Amino acid sequence: MKSLETLKKAGFAKIYEKYAPMVYRRCLQLLRDDAEASDLMQDVFLRIYSASERLDMESPSSLLWNTATRLCLNRIRDKRRRGLDVDSSSLLLSIACAEDEHDDYETKNVLAKLFLKEPESSRTMAVLHFVDGMTLEETAREVGLSVSGVRKRLRGLQAKVKTLEVQ
Amino acid sequence: MMIPDWKLERFLTGDLPEEEMNKLRELEANDAVFANRVKMLREDNKAILSKLPFETLAANLGTGAAGNAAKIAAKNAVRFTLVKFAAAAMFVFAIALVAFFAQRETSVMNERVGGDVATVNGSQNTQVALAETQSDTRIKGLDARMEVWKKTPAGIVQLNDLDSVGEGDEIQLRYAVPEKCFGLLFSMDGNGALTLHMGDGVKAIELAPGKMNSLPFAYKLDDAPYFEKFFFVTSPKEFAVEENDVDKLLKRSDVKVIGFTLKKAGK
Repeated sequence: MKSLETLKKAGFAKIYEKYAPMVYRRCLQLLRDDAEASDLMQDVFLRIYSASERLDMESPSSLLWNTATRLCLNRIRDKRRRGLDVDSSSLLLSIACAEDEHDDYETKNVLAKLFLKEPESSRTMAVLHFVDGMTLEETAREVGLSVSGVRKRLRGLQAKVKTLEVQ
Repeated sequence: MMIPDWKLERFLTGDLPEEEMNKLRELEANDAVFANRVKMLREDNKAILSKLPFETLAANLGTGAAGNAAKIAAKNAVRFTLVKFAAAAMFVFAIALVAFFAQRETSVMNERVGGDVATVNGSQNTQVALAETQSDTRIKGLDARMEVWKKTPAGIVQLNDLDSVGEGDEIQLRYAVPEKCFGLLFSMDGNGALTLHMGDGVKAIELAPGKMNSLPFAYKLDDAPYFEKFFFVTSPKEFAVEENDVDKLLKRSDVKVIGFTLKKAGK
């Protein structure tokens, strides 16, 4: 008789095979490094797996896409802070490095925040809107907020990015 | 129509709403550029899964808290180099561009738009067949647009996107821009051959705003199968199409692309 863990892994394998290429390409798009992208891609799936019982895995593309975006932005920001070379566009760097009130909390509790459906990171929204080219409506649908809520968060972030540019 | 990457990814995973899925399925069947993107991504999917199979991840599942996941994954990550989607796209368009620059229509590429009639070499191009209908229609405040017309025994008829045409049909292209900008107009057929219909060599030409312009020659469709897709690309700044650059050009955020597809009947 197969153990529950084995069954869970078999179900997760299907999700992995369907979505891993998408997640990998997303990481590669943001990090521009094959090795880092494959590292982050596995990180995304390991995190999702460990919390999969709490998640709706029926159609996880948004969850995986946004988690990958968030983790990549954290990676970019951390590398920047450590003074390492970061091969990303200045827009991404600005977005990744913009501070917000959730910053520290978010770094430590990325998934907890995501899974508890607390407000999405402004940075992720900014990437969806400014980098991916989603409309405000599409961004709002993606993160489960109202259009006006997204607009407000993006305005706040834009102001912070401007402050960063002035510094 | 350029489909953003995030939407394309969801199309591949089947996670778009049904209506959008159907729209993109139709686009895949009729738009060679989009079909190429989809095809290359599907191939890329296989390459990624063969380099990073689930087994690589499975060994680490359930072995630690999420907080350790990054460390575990990093330790076990397989380093690899994939042929990236962009590189593959460049390759496809490099091949297409060879055809593009080798075509007989090259002789008319440098024809500047503006004259009412141009004498053109090459059997696929005929002198302009259309009257200057609506030539003084002002379009200030509107988006750039392109019209495709067909010559028929009964007169000229305006075509709609995805209309059917046949070999030998004479097609006339018209365009208008609401403000001064730079533009290129080219087409791709079902054989992957690109033809520049308007441009200065490989550079966009400056376009005057305000009225509908007919290109100085009509275009006779050859026997290429499946489709003929036209692209009208505009930008406030000068731009050029270089080898390997067509796909990149279409994706640039500072250009506007209007696409128009004709289906080849009986192909």
